[in-house]
Order: sequence, then C-alpha cells, then structure tokens
Amino acid sequence: MLLFSLLLQVAALGAAYSLLALGFVLVLNATGAVNFSQGDLVMAGGFVAVVLGNALHVSGLVLLPLLLLFMAALGALIALVAYMPLRGRPPEAVFISTIAVGIILQNGANHLFGAEPVAAPAIMGAGHMRLAGVEVSVQTVAIILVAALLILGLHSVFKYTQFGRRLLATAQDREMAMAVGIPVNAMIVGTFATGAALAGAAGLLLGNVFFVTPTAGSDYVLKAYVAVVIGGWGNLPGAVAGGLLIAAFDVVYPSLPLMLPPLAALPWAEAMFSQTFSAIMLDIVALLILVVRPQGLFGEAISQRP
Amino acid sequence: MRRIYVCLASVLFVSTAHAAVTPDIPVLVPVTGFLANEGTSQRNGAVLALQNPPAGVQPHFSVTDTGTSPEGAVNALERALSNGDVTAVVASMLGTQMLAMLPVALEQKVPLITVSGTADITRKGNPYVFRFFPADSVVKGAQVRFAIDTYHIKKPALLAQTTAYGQSGQAEILKALSAAGLSPIYQDSLDVSVKDMQPVLAKVRAAGADSLLLQMHAGPTALLLKAAAAMNLGLPIVASSGLAQPSTAALLEPAELKGVCAESGSSPTSAETPAMQDFLNRYRQAFKIDPDGFSIGQYDATMMMLNIVAHGATDAAAVTKALSSQTYPGLAMTYHSDGHGNMAHSAVIICFDGTSRTPAVAKHYDFPD
Repeated sequence: MLLFSLLLQVAALGAAYSLLALGFVLVLNATGAVNFSQGDLVMAGGFVAVVLGNALHVSGLVLLPLLLLFMAALGALIALVAYMPLRGRPPEAVFISTIAVGIILQNGANHLFGAEPVAAPAIMGAGHMRLAGVEVSVQTVAIILVAALLILGLHSVFKYTQFGRRLLATAQDREMAMAVGIPVNAMIVGTFATGAALAGAAGLLLGNVFFVTPTAGSDYVLKAYVAVVIGGWGNLPGAVAGGLLIAAFDVVYPSLPLMLPPLAALPWAEAMFSQTFSAIMLDIVALLILVVRPQGLFGEAISQRP
Repeated sequence: MRRIYVCLASVLFVSTAHAAVTPDIPVLVPVTGFLANEGTSQRNGAVLALQNPPAGVQPHFSVTDTGTSPEGAVNALERALSNGDVTAVVASMLGTQMLAMLPVALEQKVPLITVSGTADITRKGNPYVFRFFPADSVVKGAQVRFAIDTYHIKKPALLAQTTAYGQSGQAEILKALSAAGLSPIYQDSLDVSVKDMQPVLAKVRAAGADSLLLQMHAGPTALLLKAAAAMNLGLPIVASSGLAQPSTAALLEPAELKGVCAESGSSPTSAETPAMQDFLNRYRQAFKIDPDGFSIGQYDATMMMLNIVAHGATDAAAVTKALSSQTYPGLAMTYHSDGHGNMAHSAVIICFDGTSRTPAVAKHYDFPD
C-alpha cells in the first residue's frame, strides 16, 4: 500500500520534472546553449495558470491549451530577444542572457503578483479517489495523465508532422539541418516556444499542490540540469528518465526504512534516510554517473557540456 | 496691549505648529528575492507608521530594496547615511544583512530598528540595534510550553528547515524541550525545495510521535499541513510563525487547518483590541492585503521611534538613548529593551478552528527578562 502510494507520487512529480527537463533538452540541442531561464518559465506558467484560473473560473485541464499557447509565445519572444541576437557568439553569452531573462521573469512576477505563494487551479478538481485499494488525490492522478498525454503528444508531433521532424532534426544536429535546407532559425524559435510551453505545463501541474512563488524557478532549473546530466546530455528519453529518478530520490529514498524495516536498525539510519541526505545521495549518484558513465544513462546526444 | 499679547501668542503658536520636526528615516528592507513576502510586510508596517506620524513630526523617508545579499544591505545603508543626518534606520529583517549592517551602524552611531528574529544580532554587544520581534528563545519557548500545557506531549516529533531560520529555531525548541525533561522521538531537517512531505510524515507516524512541532518557512508549512490532512495524520501540530502569515493560511482549506496551532509575536488579523482592529482596517485600506506579525512589529517599532522624536529626541544619539531606556505600549505588546536591544518579550499562540482561515489567539505568553 505504502509502496504503491509512494510510486504514484514519484510518477506525478517525475512526470512534471520530465516536462521541465524535456524543454531544457530541446533548447540545449537546438542551440548548444543551456537555457537557465527554464526554471523561471515553470514559475511563469504557474502564475499564468493562476491568472487564467481567476479570470475564467475553469479547471486546469480546460486552461491548458490557452496556457500552452501563451507560454509558447513567451518562449518565442525569449528566442527573439535573448538568443537570436547572440547566436553567433560563444555559448556563454547565451547562458548570461538566459540568466538575465530568468531574473526579469522573477522580478516581473514579484512586481505583478507579489511575493506571497499562491495556488494554481487544480487540473480536474480537488478531493481523493480510490485506486487499487489506496486513497490517492485526484490531482496526483491528473498530473500523471496530463504529463503522459503531453509527452505522447510531443512524441507524435516529432514523429508524424513535418514541423515536428524539422524541429527534431534541428534539435539533433543544427548544422546538418541547415545543410539540408531546414529553416533553422525558425525552428530554433519553435524549439524555444515548445520548451517554454512544456515548462508552463509543468508550472500548472506543480502549482496547485506545491504552490507558485516568484523565486521557485531556481530549484526547478537545478532539477532539470541534474536530470539531463543523469539521463544523458541532450538525450530526450534520458531527460524523462532523469526526471523520474530525481522524483524517486525525493519520495522513495527517505521512505526506505518504512518499506524495509531492517534498514531502520542500521546505525545512523535516521540521518542516512533523512530528506536532506536523500538530496546528498542524489548528488552523489549524479557525480558517480559523471565519473563512470560520463555520457549519462542513455548516452549523450551532443558532446558540448558547459 | 492685551490685543498685542494675543497676536504675539498667535504668531508663536502658528510658527511652532509649522516648525514640525523632520527626521530622516530611511527604510532599507528586502522586497525582492526569497524574503520578499516577509520583507514587504516589514516595509508596509514601517510605511504605515511613517505616513501617520504623531503630531509635530513630519518624517522624510524613502524605501530602498536591499535584495537578500549582505552587500546589498550595506551599500543601501552607506548610501542612506551619506545623505546627511539620519535619525534612525528601518533595517532589514534578514539576519545575515543585519549582521553586515551592524558595524556600519556602530561606526556611524545610528540606531537600526528591525523585526529580524536572528538571535545573534543582539548578541554582538552593539548598542545601536533594536529588535521589535520576539527572539527565537521567546517564541519557541511559547511554542513548547503551549504543546506541553495543552496537549501534555511526551513524545514530540520535530521537523525544521535546513536554513539558518530553521536551525536556530530548532536549537531553541530542543533547549525548551530539554528544560521540560523531553526530547524528540523523531526529528528531521528539510530543505526548502522538498516538495513531497508524505515520506517524512510517514516516518513521524511510524516513530509513534504524539505531537508534531514545526520550525518551517511559510510555503513548506502549507505543503506539510496539506499532506498531513491528506493522510489523516491525526497528531496535534504546533507550527512556527510562518503559519501566522495570512498568505500561508490562504493556501489551505479551512478543514486542512483544523486544530493546527502556531506561535507568533502577534496576530493582527485576530484583532483582539479596538486599536488592533483600527490598525487592521487602515492596513487593509492602504495595502489591500492582511497584515502579519512582521507588519505590526515594524509598525510599533517605527511608531515608538516617532513618538520619541515627537517628545524632543531629534538626533540619532538621543533616539538611541530613548530606545534603550523607555517603555512603549505598542499595539502588539509593550516594548522595552533588555539591555541588549531585545524589545519584544511576549508571544501568542494562535489556533484555527477548521471553519475559517482567520485564527483566534489561544494563549499569551510573557517572558520577562
């Protein structure tokens, strides 16, 4: 029972982290630069959901298409303002400009909405339901379903549409895409738009249970970075796996003594299985992966790593 | 002749009335960054007092955002002091910023009035710091005493944040528990980025705790209470002052707050007195939000300083001396220095009844020197 309940939590958190990491990887692959504003785009998506929810009084699921459109427009704007003017410059210039975008988003949100935490609308409503004999929150199940649909949708776009194939080609090898006549600049703008839309969706999914604050973005970008390091620098399935692994460390690792009681008898068990130590363990695992398998669990799609 | 005297008296009265004292009082607070929520409360409390000064005082003030870095605060203080004769400074509630500003205040001999809870700021022997928010030892003492008096706790669990706020409060809770012959049956420290509180609550339950004491920031407190309600934890919870902020309660359904209590310096939304109700009304009108303990603490601090100025202490030295020696009946409590700049010695415990997000004051605790 406990294991099932925890696994559902892992799936919900991991799915949201995966959306965040996917957007991060798309931009990384298309531009060769890390988008450090990706975490703040999650925060922005959360606040957009709050505003739309207050204005329209509908569920998060109904808001989702509007939110995706708004965030895609914001992503395209970021590409035009913060990436395009710097695309011939070293990647460090883009790091700095995306950091600046993050600071602007953070302070803009603080100015517009205040510093107080707020809750985004629920995806399909509050309350609990029974699933396989376990009481789980509707929001948890909704997060898993919506994130899975978005990931499947993204996969379908990449696989079955010309736009998606061009986007994926640009994300996989920008120079080769340019050589075969793909309008790379337009695709890069599309990549930023897709990445921002995914981050915005993560903001909606996380913002009801975990709230939204203007400063929340820095935590999220770190998670995305670690997920990508674990999964493989620039690897799309790796980003999803990395997101799930981070969620497992957040949720399952501290609960191990409850699932395996002999662990509780170990010396220092209380400290070893604390929430703080689980974060340390995740970092150790990420470092070990870098040492033993530098290309990440799923292999690197691109070789540049800042 | 009599008419001349009346005219002279009128001229003197008019000129006296116009010659209002104009103290320079910079407001240096963090209104952006991770402490923006609390810093905005501090700013609002100071501004409300400065906009409604006692008769005969017309303060000059401007608000400067210190961000959350110590150097940001020191730069703001040095800039403010370079403008001339500063009477007093409303100084950041962020402990690390206060610690960096203290040497500047000592050198320039300017009083800093703040609502920072960091214990160290009044342990440096600096005579220019005045804290109008109960120190951790006061509020944590109240938190533990309430849990013992009300719930007769024997096996408390203690969850604290890994931040300086969490750790210093945790140390005071452990000290207060130890003084009562108790120790936590389970304790853990949580990073502010921890999202899922179910694992740690499951461990609290498995440890057989009979109560839960929290020393956590506002957002994580709301997350934890939501998770506790979802898993029917069923333990008495006495939280830290993060829950006393109206914005924290606003994140939760009234049912999720049922029976939960928290310590705080004061609870302005409970409006226990007519004066407090008047403050609540004026604050809501001015800022369109509810005040919290930081707002009212900084309001009282600024009002005490302005009253001192109104009674003739017009420079920094005189204000410092008066702050060190006088007693002031504020809205939240009566303030006086303990000789180290700690002005607030009372705390309240607020509790939620599950029908609304407005708490009631369950108990007052005074901790005389």
